[in-house]
Amino acid sequence: MTVPFLEISGLTKRFGGLTAVDGLGFKVEHGAIHGLIGPNGAGKTTTFNMISGFYKPTAGQVRLRGEEISGLKMYEVARRGVVRTFQHSTLFAELTVLENALVGTHMSFRPNVFAAIIGWDAEDRRGARGRAEEALDFFGLLGHAHERAGDLPHGHQRALGMAVAMAAHPDVMLLDEPFTGMNPEETNRMMALMFKLRDSGVTILIVEHDMHAVMGLCDRITVMNFGRFLTEGVPQEIRTHPDVIKAYLGGVRHVA
Amino acid sequence: MVELLAQTGLNAIYAASYMSLVAVGLVLIFGVMGVINFAHGELFMLGAYTVVALYADFQLPFLFAVAVGLVFVGVVGLGMERALFRPLRDNPLGGLVASIGFLMILQALAVMGFGVRMEHVPPVTQEVIVFSEKVRLAVPRLFVIVAAVVLLTALWAFLKKTRFGWALRASAQDPEAAALQGISINQTSRIAMFIGAGLAGIAGALTAPLVSVNPYMGHSVIVSAFIVIIVGGIGSLEGAVVAAVAYAFVHTIVTTFWDGVIADIVGLSLMLVVLIVKPTGLFGTADRA
Amino acid sequence: MRNRALHIIGWPALAAALIALPYGLSFSQQEVLVFLTINVLLVASYRLLTLTGEWSLGHVVIMGVGAYASALYTKELGIYVPISMILGACTAALVAMLLSFPLFRMKGFYFLIGSFAAGEIIRLLWKRFRDPFGGPKGIKKIDPMPDFDIGIYSFDFFEPISYYYLALVVVGICLWIMWRIERSPVGLTFHAVHWQDKLAEAAGVNVRAYRTLAFVIASGFAGLSGALLAHYIGTVNPNSFDIEMMVFVLTWAIVGGTATFYGPIIGAIVLTILNEVVLREMGFEQMRPLIYGLLLICSVLFLPKGLESVVQKVLARRNGSGAAAAGEEQA
Repeated sequence: MTVPFLEISGLTKRFGGLTAVDGLGFKVEHGAIHGLIGPNGAGKTTTFNMISGFYKPTAGQVRLRGEEISGLKMYEVARRGVVRTFQHSTLFAELTVLENALVGTHMSFRPNVFAAIIGWDAEDRRGARGRAEEALDFFGLLGHAHERAGDLPHGHQRALGMAVAMAAHPDVMLLDEPFTGMNPEETNRMMALMFKLRDSGVTILIVEHDMHAVMGLCDRITVMNFGRFLTEGVPQEIRTHPDVIKAYLGGVRHVA
Repeated sequence: MVELLAQTGLNAIYAASYMSLVAVGLVLIFGVMGVINFAHGELFMLGAYTVVALYADFQLPFLFAVAVGLVFVGVVGLGMERALFRPLRDNPLGGLVASIGFLMILQALAVMGFGVRMEHVPPVTQEVIVFSEKVRLAVPRLFVIVAAVVLLTALWAFLKKTRFGWALRASAQDPEAAALQGISINQTSRIAMFIGAGLAGIAGALTAPLVSVNPYMGHSVIVSAFIVIIVGGIGSLEGAVVAAVAYAFVHTIVTTFWDGVIADIVGLSLMLVVLIVKPTGLFGTADRA
Repeated sequence: MRNRALHIIGWPALAAALIALPYGLSFSQQEVLVFLTINVLLVASYRLLTLTGEWSLGHVVIMGVGAYASALYTKELGIYVPISMILGACTAALVAMLLSFPLFRMKGFYFLIGSFAAGEIIRLLWKRFRDPFGGPKGIKKIDPMPDFDIGIYSFDFFEPISYYYLALVVVGICLWIMWRIERSPVGLTFHAVHWQDKLAEAAGVNVRAYRTLAFVIASGFAGLSGALLAHYIGTVNPNSFDIEMMVFVLTWAIVGGTATFYGPIIGAIVLTILNEVVLREMGFEQMRPLIYGLLLICSVLFLPKGLESVVQKVLARRNGSGAAAAGEEQA
């Protein structure tokens, strides 16, 4: 039997008396775009934060190629190949676009103080710059390399967030609500970039509130409700699944 | 041994009294305005110098000098609020740095006004309450203890029973919500600053005859106050009082059996331990930092 | 092209000016110049520490650790002064490393208070333990730097001018190293940790390790500045490294601004000149704390981006690109 690429099992998080995520389990296949959806308050973001190491799970495991990564710190998770993005436009707003991407190359070209002082790191610096420019080029940002990241338009900032993650050459990229606040045109462009990213060999796990945005994108979708696993399947199955419809209707009424 | 412990206990209660007055003021200012007033020890020093000037130099009645100390230092607090903390409301670190600047100014003014020498304030009364041969309490110390109990009770009543007190607590918990409720942040800041500074001033005024008054006395005061508010949980008034009592006991006992410097080191180490283990303090709830 | 010409002419010109500088000054002004040179290193190292976004109130005490350590190594162990200075710097860095374990569990305001508490503890230890720290009176008769001759110039360290040249070379090298660090990927990571520590961590940066690294390097340079000071004035005591001295450093950094490498250095130079030329000449030396307090408040209130922002505006105007460039650099 083969070991699943990314496996979540029995994942639980309690905040005081509140159970945000309760015994969640699912698997993500290598090279897939996998969606994790659910109505507001379903525990998607909490799950996401546990996978990326931002939170420590109360119970349960996250395994990457069979190796447990749950409970590790965020930078340790990143060093094992799982890199996340953040909701909204979380960037180094004060740094230039290129510098943002250079921070992303941190793991591949680990800086060294002594080499930097003497000047023995020229090769690493060139490599890092190449990698950063490659990532910017991938997302069509190379022309903006020397602009201040905080000055970019919203859509570009989102793309830059992904470019920073991509510069880290991750095996798995975790995208936290990448479509929030985007107009349809921006959404389409972003979807095209994600397909391109997947075709380059990166496994993608997307957390998204908007069910429609992920339908055309994901190979498989896991649905959560009230912190629990609700169902899983290909987009066609999810779209017509009565429990999912019920959950989302309930969610909508709750929001309204 | 029992007598030594009893005497140490009395000393500790006295120390706890003025420490809690200083610390409660500091916490009140932090709670309402979100800024740490580094110049709080110098406000204490200002209160002490008021007594030096009015009581020791001009021979006015002691209680009058103390009352003036309370009001005068309170007004200085109002000036700080207006000139420093209000313009820097969105910049808590800036407010802290500005208060460090103000600390230097007050110290320099005290040096210019009175010189660096120790001021000797004649005792208000020589009376001593004798419990036994080795257990005594000087009456001026009793003044400080009584004043602290009265003032802290009054403050507690003010905060819990009056409309102003309610407004103060509301804006300490959630400034934005309080503003929506029609509570003026400027007004609550003024009240907090007046009370906070005034308490430091009266603590300094009352203890002036018992300590050596000099321009640099604020340093050890602010260090103890920091220890107390961090251990008690920054933002918690009750925590500050409890921590002041606890710290005063620890400090007095260590001073009695070893020496004062070791006691300071122990206090600061305790504070570091609390910062590491439970940064919100032992009684802390609100966290605005 | 213009830039390169500026470098080829500018640096040697600056070096020549700095070498010629003491000849135009009186003996007491030369002494001030030595202190200023040492303080430039101190304040530049302070800025390195603030690169990761944490402001410490213990930096001057760390400088004192370097001073005490170097003094003790020469006095107690008879180590050759230049070596003991370097060992003093290493000791300061080591102490910072130990302090980083408790301190970097805290952030922001708590770090500020924590660093203050840690500094006070160290100062109290110096005060309390007469052996070996000398108690409140500190250590006296610290060995001076041994005189030596390099052919074109013979160093007589009784003369401030000689010590100035020594300090100039040492500080110059240290500034160059700090500049190299900031301009390297390490420096970029420091900035990243400052602006968005969560995002940096998601990119695999061990945030705490980098905060510690900045703290330790900065402390090493601060310790070296302390060692330079100790062997110049020949005596150290706990009060030389008290909160007042920390306020001076804070004032230099804030008045100068910390966004650029040169900001705090400008702050230190301008305020020292102000102090020596204006205050001392006019007989207001006593008012130094008062003036510093006022300056600190005024710059927080009215010039929050420091003197460097003024310099940047002037430079930007001269380059014809307007104030926008100044705003950009400011970041």
